This record gives sequence, structure tokens and C-alpha cells, in this order.
Amino acid sequence: MVAGLRLQRLPSAHPGIALAARGAAIFLALLLASIVLEITGAAPLELGAQVISATFGSTYGIEDLCLLLIPLLMTGLAVAVGQQIGAWNIGAEGQFYAGAFSATAIGLFVPGPTIVILPLMFIAGAAGGVIWILVPTLARAYAGVNELITTLLLNFVAALMVYYVSTGPWRDRVGMSNSATPRVKAEIPEFWGLVHWGLPLGVLMAIGFALVLSYSKWGYEVRLSGSNPSAAKYAGIPVRRHIITVMLLSGMVAGIAGMFEIAGTVHRLQGGISNNFGYLGIMVAVLARNSCIGVIFSAALMALILNAGIILQTQGLTTSAVLAITGLILFLTAIGDELAHYRITRIKI
Amino acid sequence: MDLLTGLFSTAFLAGGVLALAALGEVLAERVGVVNLGAEGLMAMGAITAIATVTATPYPMLGFIAALAVGALFGAVFAAATVWLRANQVLCGLALTLMGTGLASTIGRSYSGMPARAVFERIEIPLLSQLPILGKALFSQNILVYLIYIILPLALHYLLFKTRHGLNLRAVGENPAAADAAGIPVNAIRFAYVTAGSALAAGAGAYLTLAFVPSWSDGVVAGRGWIAVALVIFAGYRPIPAALSGLLFGLITALGFVGQARGWPVAPAFLSMLPYLGTIALIIVPVLAWQRMRRIMAAPAALGEPYFRDVR
Amino acid sequence: MNDTTQSLPPGTPPLVQLKGIAKYFPGVIANQDVDLDVMPGEIHALLGENGAGKSTLMNILTGIYQPNAGEIIIDGYAKEFSSPLDAIAAGIGMVHQHFKLVQAFTVAENIHLGWDKTPKSASAPKLEARTAELATKFNLQVRPGARISELSTGEQQRVEILRVLAREARVLILDEPTAVLTPAEARELFKALREFRDRGNAVIFISHKLDEVLEISDRITILRGGRKIATEQAVDCNPRSLAKQMVGRDIVLANMRQRPAGAAPVSTEPVLRLDNVSALGETGLSALHGMTLDVFAGEIVGIAGVAGNGQRELSQVLTGIRPPSSGRILIDGKPVERANAADFVAMGIGHIPEDRLHSGLAPALSVTINAVMREYKKPPVTTAGLYRPGAATTLARDIAEVADVTVPDFTMPIRNLSGGNQQRLVARREMRIASKVLVAAYPSRGLDVGAINTMLKYIVELRDAGAGIVLISEELEELLNLSDRIAVLYEGKIMGVIDNDKVDIDEIGLLMGGRRQTKEVA
Repeated sequence: MVAGLRLQRLPSAHPGIALAARGAAIFLALLLASIVLEITGAAPLELGAQVISATFGSTYGIEDLCLLLIPLLMTGLAVAVGQQIGAWNIGAEGQFYAGAFSATAIGLFVPGPTIVILPLMFIAGAAGGVIWILVPTLARAYAGVNELITTLLLNFVAALMVYYVSTGPWRDRVGMSNSATPRVKAEIPEFWGLVHWGLPLGVLMAIGFALVLSYSKWGYEVRLSGSNPSAAKYAGIPVRRHIITVMLLSGMVAGIAGMFEIAGTVHRLQGGISNNFGYLGIMVAVLARNSCIGVIFSAALMALILNAGIILQTQGLTTSAVLAITGLILFLTAIGDELAHYRITRIKI
Repeated sequence: MDLLTGLFSTAFLAGGVLALAALGEVLAERVGVVNLGAEGLMAMGAITAIATVTATPYPMLGFIAALAVGALFGAVFAAATVWLRANQVLCGLALTLMGTGLASTIGRSYSGMPARAVFERIEIPLLSQLPILGKALFSQNILVYLIYIILPLALHYLLFKTRHGLNLRAVGENPAAADAAGIPVNAIRFAYVTAGSALAAGAGAYLTLAFVPSWSDGVVAGRGWIAVALVIFAGYRPIPAALSGLLFGLITALGFVGQARGWPVAPAFLSMLPYLGTIALIIVPVLAWQRMRRIMAAPAALGEPYFRDVR
Repeated sequence: MNDTTQSLPPGTPPLVQLKGIAKYFPGVIANQDVDLDVMPGEIHALLGENGAGKSTLMNILTGIYQPNAGEIIIDGYAKEFSSPLDAIAAGIGMVHQHFKLVQAFTVAENIHLGWDKTPKSASAPKLEARTAELATKFNLQVRPGARISELSTGEQQRVEILRVLAREARVLILDEPTAVLTPAEARELFKALREFRDRGNAVIFISHKLDEVLEISDRITILRGGRKIATEQAVDCNPRSLAKQMVGRDIVLANMRQRPAGAAPVSTEPVLRLDNVSALGETGLSALHGMTLDVFAGEIVGIAGVAGNGQRELSQVLTGIRPPSSGRILIDGKPVERANAADFVAMGIGHIPEDRLHSGLAPALSVTINAVMREYKKPPVTTAGLYRPGAATTLARDIAEVADVTVPDFTMPIRNLSGGNQQRLVARREMRIASKVLVAAYPSRGLDVGAINTMLKYIVELRDAGAGIVLISEELEELLNLSDRIAVLYEGKIMGVIDNDKVDIDEIGLLMGGRRQTKEVA
């Protein structure tokens, strides 16, 4: 060993160091990605400059960014909410589909003025998300079945279902494409350029969750149950009831994300509407260390990365490359989180 | 071939993907590491195999290349989770994202093309003449024999009948006890997580060289996750893992038969069956067979990194 | 006392010699300048309080830790143990305080774990036959095919010892071996250890119990604060001199049963009563059988017994965490309709749980959140459904102050505090609400002498304020020192309740082992 110096593992990582580790992970991942790009013959710096000018050089760029931010914020919030009770909702993708599906059903088949239809779509989207996480929730609460795999497998079922209706019974028989439904008429109004009111609503929801968790008796009980269920039982807290409520809320948020996407951005149900937002939401929540407020910022960061991928599509990059880079960030973040527990100390003898 | 033979033949072929991936996952989980990267490893294996046979038309070479790539990615995952003790769930998810994304990116130039070389059927004399199962099991490509017969038996023997198997199971059950008994905990974890990852990637190669056989985006379609679930259902044992792979092959085959025969169900719903079936299979046993819990129990230290010189 | 040591030919090297061993942990000097020599044919006791560095020293000798300084000399040759394997090869084996056994494995599988003599092809029948042979050879009764989870702690210890002996250990290290045994089992163990010694081997016996150290050992080395204080012949020692060296000062054993003037008298009606209560354990098997127990206000009821005989379930039933499967719980004479931990708290029943980090605290959450766990529902912490972090911190600060714990930052995770400070906070948190009853499970476990004294003083203080105390402990001395009555728990049943004035240690020992004397006790 080095004379007098020692690596020491602390029981908890200092929040500042953990945050720095996240920054380092993102930087390192982007650096690695640039090196790969460089090797394959692309010029990463030029591409980077292009991304920045395309994103921030025009109002359109920022609007596009905000439109990506909305679903990422919501799915990230969904995962973070689940984590408050210690549940891994890897099924935000499926709940997103289910919310989009239910909202579309209302939008296409229930006649009425927008002022009535929009709230109905909102409720349907929320309910779709809740229904989609119901079985994993009950299985976790009553049979102790790990929700990670059950929520995830339902993603594939939801994707197949949406694919089926949008290419089958609900297919747009008039328009050009036969892989999407007709346009849903009810639309969330815009509040700035192309950006619809989903953005402020999503931010409000994140703040709302943060406030309820920090400043209510219910929030206290949820935090305790999520951190150590046996301590919560010892304190007389109904842990199972909280698991059910919080997991259903998590599904609800992801379902609302799907509704926003339909009523605010895409306006048609189509296969692949979720665009991996559910999986990227995991990333958003992890980067935010499951803080509901932090989700707002990490979602913005993810939107930036995802947007870069979309801009670079014309340069031969793909969204799958973005997914891979995201994976790399997540991987390095996980390592950084652990390493943040260590510090080097001098031993006094 | 009559209906039953056809059904079982397809079942063996389709189930092989899941069985091989599940066997890989059994290895990782038996030493106490949850590898949620199976999906990504399969994608990497699938594209590696396709790329290899496009360059040289030898399917075995493609399979071996996939194993090697799987081992490489597995070693990185194992280094992070075993030596650096990073969170296994996060690293597994990250590996899935990385593998899936990278495979799709590489796979764009191979998309839609049929594999240039595939594993051919090998008829085993005499055995393949048996009614129904003979034709279904003994007239398959070589990997099917490896996956259903050789590997499960070999792994069962290794795990439950050898000294080394005793030691490696102890690592998954109680690393501190294994350590005190002089078993190199982290080295064993590293080795088996890497080997298990190689098998998962091998399952991807099987997918594109024997089952589908071509690359398309999203070809893995959650099979890695089903494999992770099957391991729970199989009680972390190799023979039941291979058999539950077969069970899912049967569900898939039923879907094919349904489509071929024009059952009045949309193909999308038939495709949902494996996912819904998996969910049912991991929930129902917990409710139904309370008494089985001890036998089916996960290794006690599953998911926990091991620290020694720390307090 | 033992002539093997004296009869060794001159110049015989010690079996084990440690020279200048040092080991540092973050912020802690676990060992410093420790010398130790253990001769063939001796039982050498290592005596010290919790935290004196005994376990660390032995973890170094068994290769689990590497020392920061010093050398290990075996049979006169310097060795370096980079892993437990090296230590085992050198003939050193250890029976840990927390057994290093794989619960899901059979006895035979555990014996053969990580052993190079295990046949490469190791089927269950083969391993069981070999185990049976070993058991006969070393005269240690074990059931080769049984799973560890099915064994009593005494049996598990035999498996550990057999495993060490099977590897041809010449030095057997035992860490607090009697803590999990009944007195009868402990005598059996001592017999086996003497036999082992008489074959020319050595035993290192780690303990903090003076009487048993004097009984079993030939020489005694005392550690304090990570350093060696002295090595003495056991014949030259007495409990008083040992205690003084171990603690560093004279300890006065205060009789804590004496009430000061003004203390609350013992009530005439029980404040809490278990009436024929049975309960299921974690595994769904019956853990408590038809238990009847009265707790009066102003008294301390001790619960004696070997750990694992229903203590956990008893404390959970007493505090409403675990519902009884049959029978009634009466509080102030009124039966409890539905057991619920929150209701028990509201009725004034506090609980210091046996495993504070696992069940009494959320280690990752802040000191504040943990401190207010019992009062978060009430004003001032929660008013009209609103949780007020400021009021919570004020309450947490109050609790920390009476507990005499300095908390630099109330938002930091409570796991950053030391074990003793955590325990003091838990105790004070519980005392605030325990107006009727406090259930204290192993309150002194893992604490050093000073902290134990504080903890016991707290308990007496609460008794004098008029609460009934249920004190669950594995330390008979502690129970005798505090309790007014002692109930002995064995396999989920109360074997008898003994008045402390008429106590008979042998009788308690018998009851702990599940045997009743003919005469019934009150």
C-alpha cells in the first residue's frame, strides 16, 4: 500500500461527489462516442457544432427540443415516482403506449367539443397507464413478484397492440399512410410556438410530486417504506397499500405521457409512437437520482442528446446510436455512483 | 410431417433461443449476479453472427464469433459489477441499451438480407425414425442438440455433482462463507458472468443463423427478458431452464400454426402469447406452490456485491 | 494447571507467533503493536471488550484481512497470508461468531466447501458418507444430510468445528463461541476443546466473559483499544484483576435493581398481558406456542434463552408488528382487537428492536426522518396532514440532545453515525413514547462497556418512571443485574418465570436447554 494513504469506502456517497461522478460519466461517454466517430471517419467536433447551431440557432430548434423534453420528463418522472417506494417501473414504455392508445380511442370515437374531449382523453390516458401497471403492481404487493420483469414484458404486449390497431382496425383509410390512425382532432393548445401546454403541466406535476413527498404525512410514509420496508412496518405504516398507490401513480404518469404525445405532438397513433421514451425515462430518473425536481433537468439533458441524434440522422447517425450512447452513459453512471463512495484518506498513527 | 411433428419441430427450433439464453443467465445468477443485459447481449450476438457469415460462409464461425463478442461485453459488465461493485440492475439495463443500440446501428447495412449461411439440419440415424418426437428432435441443426441435451446435462453435472459446482453455488448463496472457506469469490463470479454472457450472445447467433434466419431491427424482441424470467421459473436450474425454453418454443409454434391455419385471431395477438405466458408463469407458481418456495428459491446473495476488507 | 505447556522441549517454537501487528480502518485503529504467541498444547484466551480488536486480529491470522504492519510466524517460519486459503493450508482454522455456513446447503456440502480434499466428482451421497466418517473420527455428532437452516445454533457450531478439524487444523480459533449455547452445550464444547488441546494442538478462545475464560484457558492475553495489555498464566488471574485490565479501571457492579426514593411502585394489575398467545414466524411455521406473560408497570421482566427460540417473534407480538395466530393481548386489561404497530405506539408501547439497522432505522434516510419515526403523525411534526420538516428537525435535535449524541448535520443519512450513537438515538426515541411498556431486545448488543452502561441506565430510569420493561438478552449477567423476574424462552414456549430473589443459575441453564425441574416455579 501507499505509505499512509488508503482507499476508504464511506457508507453514503457525498451528494456533491455523486453529482460530479454523473458529470464525469456523461463527459466520458460522449468522449468515447466521439472517439468511435473519429475512427469511423466522421468529424465529431464538426458534428457537435452542427448540433448546437441546429438546436439553439433557431426558435424551431428549441421548440423541437421542448417537444422531446415533454415525454422524457413524464416517463422520467414515472420511473422516479416508482423508485420512491423502491419499485423499478421498467414498463413506462408500455404504459406510454397504453395511455396513447386509450387517449386515441376517446379522440377518434367519442364525438364532442375539444373542451370536453381533451379532459376525457387525459383521464383515459391516465387510466390506460394505471391499467397497464395493475397486474405487476398486484403481483408485487401480494405475491412479492419482482416488478422489473413483469412491467418490462408488458412493453412488448403494448407495442404489439398499438401496432395492431394502427395498421388494422383503426388504420387511416383516407390518408396516405396505412400505418397510422386518422388524425385525432382534439389538440392540446400551444403555449409557446409549437410547444404545447403539456410542458408546463409536466413541470407542475414534477414539482407537485416533490412537494407532496417532502411536505405531507403520506410522503413521509412513502419515503420510509421505500427506503426500508421493515422499518416502515415497525413504525406501523401500511407498506403494501403505499406500494400499490405509488406504483399505480407511476403508471398513471407514464400513461399521461402517452396522452400528451398523441394530443400535443403527433396527433395520430402509430407503431413505435413511444420512440423508446420509456427506456430513456429510466436514464432520466437515474441521472436525477430519483429526485422529482432533478428529473426536470436530467430530462432536458436527455432531450438534448436525443435531439442531437435526430439532427445527425442526416449525417448517417441513427437514433439507435443515441440509444447505445445512452446505455454507455448509464453504465458509467452506475460505476461512478459506486466509486463516489470512496475517498482517499491519510492514516494517522 | 404431420401436425404434431411439425409443431414440436418448430417448438424445439424456436425454444432453442430462449433455452440457450436462459442457460447463460443460470450461470450468472448461480454465482449471485443478475445479468439484465441478456437482451443487449443477444442483439450483439445476432449481428456479430450475421456479419461473420456474410464475410465467411461458415455458420459455426459466426456462432463462435458471437460467443467471443458476448464474452467481451460480459467481461466489461462483470468487471463493473463484480470488481467495481456497481449496481447490477443499472449496469444490466445499460448493457441492454448499449447492445441493442449498437447492434441496430451496425445492423443497418445487413437489414432484411437472409443470412448467407445457416446451420443445416442433421438427421441422427435411427433416433430420427422414432414417431413424432424422433423427427422433431433428432432432425435439427447441431445447436439444438447442444442446447437441449449436451449443455443442460453438462451444466447440471457441473453445478450439482462436482466440487467446483459446490464452490460456485456457495459463492451465490453466501459469498462471505465461501470467502472464509478459501474460495476466490470475485474470480468465480467474473468467470461465470462472462461465460453466461457468451451463451446469451450465442443465443442471438442461433436466432439469426438457425431460427429466423436474417437480421432485422428488433429481431431479439424481448427474448432476452423472457430468458431472465424463465430462470426464475426454472428455479435457477439448467435442465428445467432448457425445458421451459422448450415450453415457450411450443407457445411460439402454436402461434405459427395458428397463423398458417388461418385461426381467426390477429397475428399480433398470437405474438403477445410468449410475453403474457411469461408473466403468468412467474406469478402463478408463487401463488400456487407455496411449498415449493425453498426448492425454487433464488441464490441467497443474488444481486448483492461482495465486500470483504470494508467495515 | 496444564502440564503440556511446561513439558515442551526447550526451544520449541510457538505454533503461532504474531509480531507487531497493526491494522487500520477508516478513522479506527483496530490493532496496533500486537504481539501474541500460542504454544502447542495450550488453550489461549483472547480477552477484551467489544471493539478491543480481537476479531480483527483473528481475521488477520486467518487471512481474511491483510495487516498494515507486522508479521505472522508459524512454527518458526514467517508467512504471508494473502487469502484464507493460505491460513487454512498453514493449519489455522476459525469458527466465526456469525457462522460462515451456507444456509441452503446440507451439513455435508458445508463441510466440503472450498476444500481441496473434496473429491472432484462430488455427489450428495458421497459427500454425506465422507461427512459421517469425519464425524466419527473427531467425535462430533452431526447429521450429514440435514440443511443448515434446520439446525439449532449448537449443531451449527459443531458443523463449523468439524469443518475446521477436517482440514487438519492445528490451531482452532473460536470467536465468542458460548454466546449461542446453553450452559450444557457450552460444557460439551469445553470438553471437545480440551481433547483437541491434549492431542498437541492449540486453541485460541475469544471472549469477553471472565468466568469462562478462567475456566477454559491456560494463558490469557488481554487486548484493549486495539493494543495488547498483557499475557498472563490463567492460574495467576482472578476475575477482578482481569476485569481491571480489560476495561482499564475498576468496575463497580452496581445493583441496578435497587429503586431510588420516589420511584414508581410496581403496579398491582399487569399493564400488558399475553394470554395464551401463539404466533407464526417468518417462514410460516409456528414460532410462539400458547405463551402467557404478565408485565407490570414499574418492573423489569427479563427474557432469557438462546437466540432464535422465539425472541424476535415475541418482541414483534408485544409491539403489534406481528399479529398473534391465536390468544389475546391485553393492554391495561383491555383486549387488543387488531394488532397494528401504529396503535401500539399510540397506546404508549415502545420498542428497541434487536437489529436496529434492519428494522428500527432507515439507514439511507436522514437523522431527522429516523428520529421522528414515532411521532411524525402528531403535531408539531404533522399538522392538518402537512409534514413540517422544520418541526421535525427541532424534535430530532431534542432527541439527540437527551441521547447525548452530537449530530453535525441532521440531513445526513443516519448510517453515517456510529452504532452506539444510533442505538442511543433509537433508545431515546422509544423512551419518549414508552409511557406504558418498553420492549428492549438485546439493547447492549455490539456496544462497548461505556455505551452498555448508558443503555442500562436509560432502562432503569424508565422503570422508575413507571413503565413496564421487557428486556430480552443473551447475557445472563445483564438479566440478573436488572430484572425483577426472569422468564426463560425455549422453542417458542416460556419454560418458567423465576423471581430474581430466588434465582438459581443452574435452573435457568436447564430451562434454557428445554428441561424443567420437577418443582414448578412461580
